[in-house]
Order: sequence, then C-alpha cells, then structure tokens
Amino acid sequence: MSEMMQSVKNSLKRPRKKSRLPLIVGASITLVMVIIGVISMFWIPQDVNVSDPSIRMLPIGTPHHLFGTDFLGRDVTSMLMTGVRTSVIIGASAAFLSLFIGTLFGMLAASISKLDEPIMRTADIFMAMPGIIFALVLASTIGAGYVTTIFALTSFFTPAFVRVTRASSMRVLSEDYISVARLYGRSRLFITFRHVLPNVSSILIVQFTIYFAAGVLSEAGLSFLGVGINRPSVSLGMMLHEAVEQIGITDPLGVWPGLGIVILVIGLNLLGDGLRDYFDPRFSQRVR
Amino acid sequence: MGRFILRRLAFFAITLLTTSVLIFTLIRAAGGNVAAILLGKNSSAEEIHKLSTELGLERPLPVQYFEWMGNFLHGNLGQAFRSKQLASHLIWSQAPVSVPLSLGGLILAIIIAIPLGTFAAKNFNRPSGAFVAVLSQIGIAVPVFWAGLLLSLVFGVHLHLLPTGGWVPWSENFVGALRSLALPVFTLGIVMASTLTRYTRTAILDVMNEDFVRTARASGMSRRVALIKVGLRNASLPLVTVLGLLAAEMVGGTVIIEKVYSLPGISRMILDNVTAREVVVVQSTVMVIVVYVMTINLIIDLAYGLLDPRIRVGK
Repeated sequence: MSEMMQSVKNSLKRPRKKSRLPLIVGASITLVMVIIGVISMFWIPQDVNVSDPSIRMLPIGTPHHLFGTDFLGRDVTSMLMTGVRTSVIIGASAAFLSLFIGTLFGMLAASISKLDEPIMRTADIFMAMPGIIFALVLASTIGAGYVTTIFALTSFFTPAFVRVTRASSMRVLSEDYISVARLYGRSRLFITFRHVLPNVSSILIVQFTIYFAAGVLSEAGLSFLGVGINRPSVSLGMMLHEAVEQIGITDPLGVWPGLGIVILVIGLNLLGDGLRDYFDPRFSQRVR
Repeated sequence: MGRFILRRLAFFAITLLTTSVLIFTLIRAAGGNVAAILLGKNSSAEEIHKLSTELGLERPLPVQYFEWMGNFLHGNLGQAFRSKQLASHLIWSQAPVSVPLSLGGLILAIIIAIPLGTFAAKNFNRPSGAFVAVLSQIGIAVPVFWAGLLLSLVFGVHLHLLPTGGWVPWSENFVGALRSLALPVFTLGIVMASTLTRYTRTAILDVMNEDFVRTARASGMSRRVALIKVGLRNASLPLVTVLGLLAAEMVGGTVIIEKVYSLPGISRMILDNVTAREVVVVQSTVMVIVVYVMTINLIIDLAYGLLDPRIRVGK
C-alpha cells in the first residue's frame, strides 16, 4: 500500500527536470558526422577510386593512411569520409521528401474529410509493400544510384509521415480554439498554416530524425546488396559489400564502415529522443 | 466480430488488387524492351518484334495485366521466358529457406522482446532497466547485415560452432538445415527484437500510469499480476501495430540476411530474374511476397480485434 501512496505522491509532484544528455550527445554526434560529410565535399586525403597495388591492405595507423588501405590500395579514410557523406545525403533527402509529401497529404486528410479515406487507404497500401523488394526491382531495372535509392526510400517512408501528421492534426483540429477560429471566419487554409502546422511541427521534427536514421540504415542495406550506391560513388554499406566479397568477414575492413553506420544512427536516434523530451516534457515524464 | 472480419477481408482484397496494378506497372514501365534484352545485343529489330509477338508482349498492357492477374488468381503464376520453368515451382523451391528464416526471426523477436521490454518498463528507474533500454537503443542502430557479419565471425570463424554460410537442404540432412538456419534466424531475431523491446517498454510504461492499472492495484492485485493481467493486454494494442510494421521489415531483413549467409532463398531468385528480365516471374514472385506480408498483417489485424472489443465495433 505504501508503494501505491508513493506512486500517487510522485504523480502529484512537480515534474523533475529531464536530463538533456541524450539531446546534447545526439546533436554532437550528428553535427560531427555532418561536418565530416561537408569536409569530404571539398577535401579528402585521396581520390576514392584511385588504386595502387603496391600499398594493398596497409594496416590501420599507417602514416598518410590513417585507417589503412583496402585490397586495391585505396585509402580507407577517404572512403569512410565519402561514405558518411553519402549516408547523410541519402538519409536526409529521403526523410525530407517524405516529410514534405507526408505532411501535405496528412494535413489534407485531416482537414478535408472527403479526402481522408482515399489518402489513408493509399498510405496503408504503400505501407504493406515490402520496400526493399521494390528497391531491388527498381534498382536492377532503371539502374542503381542516388536518385533510385532516394526515390525508393521516400515511397517507403512517406506513409508513416502521412499517418502521424493526420493523427496529430486531427487532435489539434478538435481543440476549442479551432472552433473559435472557424466562427471568427478564418479560412481552412489559414487555420492549417497558422494553427495546425506550428502545433504538429515538433512531432514532425522528431519523426524526421527517426526516419533520417532509418534512411541511413536502409541505404546501407541496399548498397550492401549491391543495388544501392555503386562505384564511382562510395557508401558505407557498399564498403562492407566490397570487404565481404573480396577478403571475407575476418578483416578489419569490415569493421569501420559498420561502426560508422552504428555511430551515425545512434546519434540521430538520441537526437530524436532528446528533441521529443525537449518539445514535450510531459510525454517524457510519462514514458521514461 | 463477423462484420469486422468481413471488412478486414474486403480491405485485404482491395489492397492486393491495387498492389498488383502497381507492381505490374512498375516492372513493365521500368523493364525496358524485354524481348530486346532477352535476345541480347546483336539482334535485329525483326527478331525482337517476332519474339515480342510470340511472348505476347506486343499486346496492350491492360490486356497483359488481366491475363496475368487472371492466371494468378487461378494459381497459374506464369513461367520463365527462357528456361520455361514454372514461376510457382521457382518460388516453391525457395520457400524451405525463406519461410522458416523469416517466421523464425519474427517469432524469436517476439519471444525475446516482450519479456525484456516488460522487464525494462517495470525496472525503468533501476540500473537493470536502463541497461536493457540502452542495449535496445544500440541494437536498433546496428544494420542487420553487419550484425550478421559480426555474429558469423564470432560463432562461425572463432568458435566454430555453426556454419558461416551455405545451405544444406532439409531432405538431405535435417540437422544440417537447422544448423545453417540457426545463425540467420538468430541475427534476424535479435535485430528485430531491439525495435520491439523499445516499443514494448514504451507501451507498458504508458499503461503503467493509467488509472485502470492503479484501480487494479487498489483492488488487491500485486504489481506483477496487475501488469500482466491488465497492463499487457492494454499495451498489446500499440504493440500489434508495431508487429504489422515489423512484418514488412522482416521481409527486408530476410532478403539481406540471405545474402550475408549466402542462402539460396527468395532474394537471390528475385535478383537473378530481375537481371534476366524474366518479368512475369518477377511480377508473380513480388506478388507472392506481398500476399505473404499482407496475410501476416491480416492475422495480426484480426488478433487486434480479438484483443480490443472497441476495434471490432468499428472506428
């Protein structure tokens, strides 16, 4: 019984201030990765496609080749930097496009009841499709690459954004102040942009970071299968593909790209969690 | 309940129909001139035209679609242009690898994640609970193929416990088949379990603060009993939704894991046939996979209705 009283007391207490640690750690990791990606646009130690058989498989820590070289003597540091850039660009583009399209259709579904059913059923259909199979078919028919990968990921991610936007917009639209705004003669468009969008934006930002991470993982998976990013571009998943195909799983070359993906994804997920706590302290109080 | 099942079944049918149109359009639109690719580079326009007519690829697309779909519904999935092998035969020969792998992974994920997530929620303010939460956070970030590589490195290369890849058919050696599936299933299972653990934890934590759990506790149930009897059932609602999403992830994971462990499953078959432009085989295979995922979703949906009377009544 005392335990119960305690829990009642706890629920009456003023919410304790949540640690901002996940937010800070997540944001820092993400920032570092983005900076690495941006630097790689202007400078990398060596061209990622120039091979030099005389310096094959140099170990980590070799001067001028910090992470060593691969089975063709290509510089691993340069490949990792370029790979991080690819992950960031593809993850962010896919998440951003899904955010844009998903928000549009989600808000349409929420505010125009005639469109609700068709939009949601379409989203359901897209959700039921195994995305990776489609990406596979697409990549092998129209060719692999940035555009195909982003297109495939976007069509896979958008339904989730539609659902979330619709659900949270509906919640906002049922508030009293929306009825007041309507009575006041505000147009549907005005209400959508002035009241709904600002109120759902925090949820969408969190959703964006989560799908950014999912995009990074999916791109890596597709490239690992050989249907995502191919030479002359470089991606972390593709590096693992090459490492496994050429030298087997026992080589450390198979470690760094994987570690890179894990760090980036953990960073993004922590950032997402941190942002959610930041935007909605009540939620975190309840859930954590 | 009857109306609920009917409505679900109707949606199931409509979704499959729409998806089939989509698959057909996508594969045909993106496939280029199939006959030209089948004949190779040094073929004349005449030959291409002749083969196209022979294969029925010259006819209007809607006609071809209805023919394909009509046959599909009658259980005839078509055949390969070159080898004349039946698509159904090709798909059926992959099933002994892909089906146990995907279902095994999903079931293992559920077995691991539900107790672990519940444990993490119950002990959310203790180090043990935090540890599970951190572990699942890391697990979510690990790409499924990398997990596969690391696990085969540990269990296959270093400990010599299990094969690192390859496939022994069931008929040849039952134990051998089990052994070659063990690591793939384990990999898929733990990767999916990390996502599911996290959702379970959140769902249970949400429920733990609900008034009805407090009431159950006040009525004399112990913390554990209240959580399992009242909590888990209510927490199962969001979880069932997540399971539906996992079913799609499961297919993706299966495709990748088959590649990691070089298993002769569905992913290799699709890749081979897409490259060879066996469009009918690809269409039918993708369609079969969609039916598979949708059936799992349907079962989950119906379970949803059983768990929550409100869903049955309709939204």
